Amino acid sequence: MDYVFDIFLISISAALINNFVLYYFVGICPFIGVSRQVDMALGMGGAVTFVMTIAVLISWSITTFVLMPGAPISRWVASFFVSPDQAAAIDLTILTYIVYIFSIASSVQFVEMYVRKFYPPLYKSFGVFLPLITTNCAILFACLTVMSHIVGVDNPSEAWDLGRALALGIFGGLGFTIAIVIMAGIREELDLCDIPGPFKGAAITLIVGGILAMAFMGFAGVDSGIRAALNGMP
Amino acid sequence: MADLPTSAERFIQGVLPENPVYRQLLGLCPTLAVTSGLKPALTMSVAVAAVMLCANVMVSLIRNLLRPHLRIVVFTLTIATFVTVVDRVLAAYMYPMSKTLGPYIPLIIVNCIIICRCEVCASRQSVITASADALGQSLGFGFALVSIATVRELLGTGALAGIQVLPPAWPQWVIMVLPPGAFLTFGLLLALVNWADAARKGKKG
Amino acid sequence: MENGTPRRPGGGLKNSSLGQAWLVLLLALVFGAVLAAVQTNLSRIIAANKMNETLDNVPALVWGAGATGRMAEPGRAVAITAGTLDVTVDSKLKVIPVFQVTLDGALAGWVVKAGGQGYADKIELLLGLDPALDTITGLFVLEQKETPGLGNKITEAGWRRQFSGQKTHSPLVVQKGRIAASGGIDAIAGATISSRSVTHIVNQAVSAARANLTTDAFRPLERQ
Repeated sequence: MDYVFDIFLISISAALINNFVLYYFVGICPFIGVSRQVDMALGMGGAVTFVMTIAVLISWSITTFVLMPGAPISRWVASFFVSPDQAAAIDLTILTYIVYIFSIASSVQFVEMYVRKFYPPLYKSFGVFLPLITTNCAILFACLTVMSHIVGVDNPSEAWDLGRALALGIFGGLGFTIAIVIMAGIREELDLCDIPGPFKGAAITLIVGGILAMAFMGFAGVDSGIRAALNGMP
Repeated sequence: MADLPTSAERFIQGVLPENPVYRQLLGLCPTLAVTSGLKPALTMSVAVAAVMLCANVMVSLIRNLLRPHLRIVVFTLTIATFVTVVDRVLAAYMYPMSKTLGPYIPLIIVNCIIICRCEVCASRQSVITASADALGQSLGFGFALVSIATVRELLGTGALAGIQVLPPAWPQWVIMVLPPGAFLTFGLLLALVNWADAARKGKKG
Repeated sequence: MENGTPRRPGGGLKNSSLGQAWLVLLLALVFGAVLAAVQTNLSRIIAANKMNETLDNVPALVWGAGATGRMAEPGRAVAITAGTLDVTVDSKLKVIPVFQVTLDGALAGWVVKAGGQGYADKIELLLGLDPALDTITGLFVLEQKETPGLGNKITEAGWRRQFSGQKTHSPLVVQKGRIAASGGIDAIAGATISSRSVTHIVNQAVSAARANLTTDAFRPLERQ
């Protein structure tokens, strides 16, 4: 029950309270660039969620089994070359960023092939945006967040397992989708308005984004409130 | 094909006319994230400048050895390596700042500015031109970050780089250092830049 | 060709897949060497930075703000040992970082690292306790992401000073309004939840320490 509760809190935190776009400022480029129409935005959000989930899966696996200090596979390989004590101290975290970015690039390739094979019209409508997801900060950010909960913890028992990592990936992507779809809906309305010259395009989008961020600030403290209510904190 | 811009032109273009943040709208993630204070903004600009310079020089050195379809892989590898180095150096010698900047330093890897410059300039022109381009773009990026950070920190805390500037009677606009303030400040400054640009073009034409 | 510059001698390399493979391999080796150099030289410094961030605050938590004078007294040997304490909370094993502070070999105090949920995100604290675990000797906030200008004020020395000198026999209670009763913590105006979170974390850490922390239960970290 504790575990389900934890997953629930991670999920709403990633999707609403600490929304990737409106709180952490990652994934801003597609947020401003792609959010003109709701169906495009929905497609983009779906693609990002899909890629984020796969990328988090790959990066969690590689971090836990190869990269983190004392990881099983590296330790086993190193034990052929050095003493077991030295092998236990092996720390490959310096390679983290390189490994992550290449795993994200491969996830995007994989998703691209999948979409091209099974959903050709969707693939056509995406155009150039699908490969551009590789440079989407949100995905790398999700992987880095997962890493910080594995490598940076004091308590090895508190390191995130796969369930928590996937929860962050899926719901972080969903939060991104929510933000971008809301923005698209607003922009569709804005297209019918008379916007002053200097504000046309990105400027008015950013200001609307600011108001959206203010609205999402209303979610702050929700997770600590739930935690407090369930733990009986006064 | 038209003549490619010279070093001097690349440098000057990067600062204002082709400013990566205000004109090309690239690299917006760090622009909004680290500009809550002047010091983080400056540190980020220097970090990006270092990575961009090294990456541009590296790519320019091997530009004639590289086939087109491998270039993205090589760019990414180069940038990721230099970002790792910069991240570690920051953690070793500027630990509190490294904690403040947090995950935004590794996010330099996916910063569109650097990949874009590698693609547009470094993979086609000499080392000198590529360096000039990197320096110009970094200067422009730094200028954009500093402009936003100044507004946010001044209005949000009354201080600049920690030094109190406004009188203590100033009611701190806390929203400025929070996420909405980032969006609003950047949006308004962008509108200002667009207006200034249009006014300048109007005067000329 | 992309530009007008004359073809370099590496033209053969460019046109063969094997050549390309060698190029990428060479690049990977060069970068690998660079990263290995960075790792060997800087990892120790970074680990020391992390440790010092906490260690620098430990003396002040045990002896109060004038501690640096204490440390510099000639003939006095102050030793800070970093270690851990195993605690069972809700039938789950937790490992708590603890620092043992000795003066001339005699126990001078403990510093416990505690964490928990704040209003916005996790809060991490250092809590100073006297050798008898009777009194709180200091509080320092290591990490917090509370609202700037409101919850942020938990880091202010003035607010944290309320915890120094508090007895540990019963949990501390947060009170709104200026009632400075013993055992009560004055909440920050407009940041009641942040104040309550910190007090709750302190109470939990104190009860865990009182129940479990002895010189025998303290496990020093192995020196490397």
